[in-house]
Amino acid sequence: MRASAVAGIVFANTSDSLLNELTAVRSMASMPFGARYRIIDFSLSNFVNAGISNVGIITNANYRSLMDHVGSGVYYDLDRKAGGLRILPPYNTSLAKRFHGNIEALAGSPAFIERSGADYIVLYNGDSIANVDIESCIDFHIEKGADITTVYAYGKSPEKHKHTMILDLDGDTVKSAKFSNDSLDNVNYSIGITVVNKKVLLPLVEEANQEGLTDFNRDIIANKLSELKVFGFKHSGKVFVMDSINSYYNANMALLNKDTRHDLFNLSRPIFTKTRDDMPTRYGTKSNVQNSVVADGCIIDGTVKNSILFRGVKVEKGAVVENSIIMQEALVSENAVVDCVIADKNSSISKGATVKGTKEDIFHIRKLQFV
Amino acid sequence: MAKKKCVAMLLAGGQGSRLGVLTGKIAKPAVPYGGKYRIIDFPLSNCINSGIDTVGILTQYKPLELNDYVGSGKPWDLDRTGGGVHILPPYQGQKGGDWYTGTANAIYQNLEFIERYDPEFVLILSGDHIYKMDYSDMIKQHVKTNAACTISVLKVPFEEASRFGIMNADENGKIYEFEEKPKNPKSNLASMGIYVFSFDKLKKYLCLDAENKDSSNDFGKDIIPMMLNAKENMMVYKFNDYWKDVGTVDSLWEANLDLLNPKIDLNLSDKKWRIYSRPDNFPPQYIDGESKVENSLVTDGCEVYGNLDYSILFENVTVEKGAAVEYSLVMPGAVIKEGAKVKYAIVAENAVIEQNASVGQEPTAENAEDWGITVIGANITVGKNAVIRSKQMIVEDVAEGEKR
Repeated sequence: MRASAVAGIVFANTSDSLLNELTAVRSMASMPFGARYRIIDFSLSNFVNAGISNVGIITNANYRSLMDHVGSGVYYDLDRKAGGLRILPPYNTSLAKRFHGNIEALAGSPAFIERSGADYIVLYNGDSIANVDIESCIDFHIEKGADITTVYAYGKSPEKHKHTMILDLDGDTVKSAKFSNDSLDNVNYSIGITVVNKKVLLPLVEEANQEGLTDFNRDIIANKLSELKVFGFKHSGKVFVMDSINSYYNANMALLNKDTRHDLFNLSRPIFTKTRDDMPTRYGTKSNVQNSVVADGCIIDGTVKNSILFRGVKVEKGAVVENSIIMQEALVSENAVVDCVIADKNSSISKGATVKGTKEDIFHIRKLQFV
Repeated sequence: MAKKKCVAMLLAGGQGSRLGVLTGKIAKPAVPYGGKYRIIDFPLSNCINSGIDTVGILTQYKPLELNDYVGSGKPWDLDRTGGGVHILPPYQGQKGGDWYTGTANAIYQNLEFIERYDPEFVLILSGDHIYKMDYSDMIKQHVKTNAACTISVLKVPFEEASRFGIMNADENGKIYEFEEKPKNPKSNLASMGIYVFSFDKLKKYLCLDAENKDSSNDFGKDIIPMMLNAKENMMVYKFNDYWKDVGTVDSLWEANLDLLNPKIDLNLSDKKWRIYSRPDNFPPQYIDGESKVENSLVTDGCEVYGNLDYSILFENVTVEKGAAVEYSLVMPGAVIKEGAKVKYAIVAENAVIEQNASVGQEPTAENAEDWGITVIGANITVGKNAVIRSKQMIVEDVAEGEKR
């Protein structure tokens, strides 16, 4: 296949509202994840590992942290003369407004799709974390002669996800699709990655947008199953689709499991991210770290258990961090106790303070907040 | 080509034979350091932090890995439209070509490269020292004193001075004599191998040296003495911070563990003077619930299920359950299997220490005479239950149960 045959589009703001406080300062796709990543690293790396070098990121709001993170795309080898990375914010005309749903978002970026020179477009929601073999998915799509191929997983579907399709499959063919506000067990559900022939994409989007329809899965795929050849491609690896602060917390904590870690960070399909030139992490003479995932640049002199530490975190003498996610450059001062907490970027917990949530109700310390 | 005030020339062609198996396949500047760095990161980062954006790297010995590592110079912001980093291996011209016969000859053969930038000053650096230094301050002094050549020096203890090239200078810092490894040193100002030359002077003396068939074409042995004889204005530049030559196994080991010494100020992620590197892309480190990690540096890609004390793990190292690593460096990709013990050792890239093997020994009163750091070469396997004594340098696989 020629290098430019496939282009990718990431929707950076999918499900923003479900992580409320956490996404107040950033988009879903730029949510920090797994000690040194942002969620968008998964979509961009999956694209790059499949040989896709022409990628657009459609974004709606709160995209400063996203732009800061992806930069020119150099960390993903997406700083290209041909193709490369493009950020597609709302177009600045007198009609400029936020998108409502991904149909409007796509209809607002026809130039990217038309000029890409691609025959296939991969649509990727910014709220899913998985190491997906997109190359095999595209081979499958071509081999089946599909119009649309949706990637699905088997298991428990996310809740409050009006756009997640619960699939009824006949072999690889999608027979019908339904939607559920509740989480359903033991179902085949779409994980927000869809391959579409460019030929069919633009007319479908244009037509649906004129009718005021908003959701690609619900209003296009599920409606057109009789007219279009729609197939399902199964992803058997780990997948985490964000639907609440709890699911975000649990996806991070899942990295304490070796199999999950080695599946998501499969070294033959590496996940790339922004480099920061931190020193390695320093463990002090009195440090006690157990069952934790830690990024570079941390200085640990206290106790850390069952936790995720992002780059540049400091845990001072006598401090105890348990069951928590401590984001970039946060400080846990001497003798502070932190349990079941998400401490956002640059937050700081003062000497001797105790901050506790529960596993059901995680306590969130805001960006730059001082406790 | 736009004019540059200063061009840096980095001598990276030496074999580093005293590092033995550690430089068996790579040039010394490419030797890993400090968990995620290589020695060459120091001069390159110092250059960019000093505002010098044009660097020629002179390579000769096993350049493949070094070339790959430096690449376009991107990690150091040295990928420039004008200037940037250039790898300069020996080359052939119409009249043939030669290997670099000495440090001065390497620069002489690349005068054309320097001339393209028409610089006022040339900074000569070497790729075997760990230090953070502002070269712009040295150049400032060079200009102020109207020197032909400025040589960076460090005060060393008098008892060690006979290991170095010693500069004898007057109270103003003007050099009147240079002694290579003197038996009875008159001063303790040791040359750090860092020179600033006014380009016209450098060119003049390199050309004179090239005509002399008896010359060894070396800066220390030939160029500096020749310039002193010609009464050129040569000055010392006194440097007072951390500086370490990593030319031997013991000094390489020491310079690494200095990062764990609270008395030594060697912060590599200081935002004002950061040391940049080209790390591979690995997931974050994982420290298991059964492990004990104290006073150590650990970086991306490592998985630690055993115990660490006073050690540095480089990228993607695995320490299995019940294994213990003390006072050691474990370089990228190495695996320390269950129950293995590694003490006072350097385990090079991708080496495997099998179950319950024992590598290295701690220094005691009895073994003080012949004690030293043990080195396991890259890609070597040390078999199950094998025992490797102190000061061994292992260059081939060690069989199960074998004692060395």
